[in-house]
Amino acid sequence: MKIPRLTTLVPVVILVLLALFPLIGIPLNWLNYLFSFFIYLALATMWNLLAGYTGLIMLCPHAFVGLAGYTMAIGTWVGVPFQAGLIAGAAVAALFALLISYPVFRMKGIYFAIGTLVLPEALKAWFSFWRPVGTAYQGGGAGYAVAGVAGFTLGDKYWLALAIAAVSIFVVHIILRARLGLGLTAIRDNENTAASSGVNIFRLKLSSFLIAAFIMGIAGAAYYIHNPRIQPTSGFNISWLLLPLMATVIGGEGIEEGPIIGAAIVTFLRFLLADYGAWSLFIQGIILVVVVVVMPQGIAGLLRQVGAYRLPLRLFKAAEAKIHKT
Amino acid sequence: MSETAVLSIDRVSKHFGGIVAVKDMTFEVQAGEVLGLMGPNGAGKTTLLNIIAGTYSPSSGRVHFCGRDITGLPAHKLCHLGIARTYQIPQPFTSLSARQNILVATEYGGKKAAGMEHDKIFDLVNLSEQKDMPARDLATVSLKRLELARALASNPTLILLDEIAAGSTDAELPRILGIIEEIHKMGKTVVLVEHVMKVMVEAVDRIIVIDKGEKIAEGTPGEVMKDEKVIAAYFG
Ligand SMILES: Nc1ncnc2c1ncn2[C@@H]1O[C@H](COP(=O)(O)OP(=O)(O)O)[C@@H](O)[C@H]1O
Ligand SMILES: [Mg+2]
Repeated sequence: MKIPRLTTLVPVVILVLLALFPLIGIPLNWLNYLFSFFIYLALATMWNLLAGYTGLIMLCPHAFVGLAGYTMAIGTWVGVPFQAGLIAGAAVAALFALLISYPVFRMKGIYFAIGTLVLPEALKAWFSFWRPVGTAYQGGGAGYAVAGVAGFTLGDKYWLALAIAAVSIFVVHIILRARLGLGLTAIRDNENTAASSGVNIFRLKLSSFLIAAFIMGIAGAAYYIHNPRIQPTSGFNISWLLLPLMATVIGGEGIEEGPIIGAAIVTFLRFLLADYGAWSLFIQGIILVVVVVVMPQGIAGLLRQVGAYRLPLRLFKAAEAKIHKT
Repeated sequence: MSETAVLSIDRVSKHFGGIVAVKDMTFEVQAGEVLGLMGPNGAGKTTLLNIIAGTYSPSSGRVHFCGRDITGLPAHKLCHLGIARTYQIPQPFTSLSARQNILVATEYGGKKAAGMEHDKIFDLVNLSEQKDMPARDLATVSLKRLELARALASNPTLILLDEIAAGSTDAELPRILGIIEEIHKMGKTVVLVEHVMKVMVEAVDRIIVIDKGEKIAEGTPGEVMKDEKVIAAYFG
């Protein structure tokens, strides 16, 4: 029998342990915190794929979250079960990404960033008056309740979010080791040279843009299964941008484990500062600035720089050698 | 246009705002030929290469490659068709190793016949010792070699070399001449922009001299060096 490598085994063990949490009766609050962590982690991982590996400073995650959430919510009003709505929502987010790709990819750098930033605002305005199903005040204001989620337990939601986070990390892991990852890195490093080496820049950017939109959409929709009411001001809220952005920058942009560390910190801060309202964002902003100044590569970058992974890796290797000998 | 022309430039001009970088340029490059482009700084040589490689599209005129009109095609398509170029100022993928840099060109260079093995390319350009180093740690001389290696890795029909000898010591020139000779022996067509006269005179079959975007002379190295307009452009 082939013995799996420890570097493969460790993530699998962590995943299994996390999956066991709802079964071993840990406090419900914890499941709530971890649920949020998984959602933010999926968003941050995708944001990192674009900003860290493709060189796209994409400022419209809230467009994908809102569209996917609305698609799922409205779907439940016309008889589409939320499980199907989850996938449909992600598909709508990806379709939206496809539609905007042609105009936004013509813009470079800061113009691309600004171009993407205005989109969620437009969607927010649109969804404030557009009401495809239900009478004007059914569900209250311009919002929609997500129907039919009562039977879905906290444990179920937790597993769903865990699966989404795990898949997002796995997808990026695979991409980075595949031909696509090489092309994306080439684009990030130098678009001119990438093009003259035969890289179809538009097509590759579009691939990672669509993947990110789909997974961000599914993560956003999953959030609205847990918090089953969506409104224009929540679905298209800029915090859906700030969370993954801060998580990625604090954790380490362009580093695989960066978003994991960053999302943990951002989740922790969010709940720690939950009672301080507007101050919460202010304090998070200050932390962000401090991190950017003190550790431009983020926490993961600093850990790599000081060689923090060297000892655990050596221990892994030694253990592995021993296992293979016996 | 002649049957064997790999590249044909037909009354090509390029303006940048008010600046005319290339003006009404016409010439052909035959299969297997090594053509030299010469001219003072700012003459428009790099702009011309950028037009051929698809980085810029010309303001007017047509460009044909192997009989096909390629005017305005994007750079990645031209790479797939068989045009590769080096950058005068090296433009590596900084976070990738030298090996990965040229892997991009083989992975994405299009469905052409397999070219040289990577190790052979690194041997040829004398970069074998540094092939696993990240490009950001390489010195300019090595980055120039990496430019060559990457251009070769996509196995082009036509290769555009922009001042590959600039900054080299005299002792390194025979090696550079050897590389061009080797590329020539592979049957590739070469357009060479060069200031280093020794390289220009020894490597090329024919020279086109450009000044202020216009062709002022054309001929064998011996012929153009005696041309009065050339002498005036360089020393006048
Ligand atoms: N992207 C650009 N924008 C504006 N002007 C340019 C650009 N590229 C080149 N030029 C101008 O075109 C002229 C020719 O430049 P170039 O082709 O680089 O000359 P050479 O390579 O012969 O030294 C110069 O006057 C240069 O300033
Ligand atoms: Mg030049």
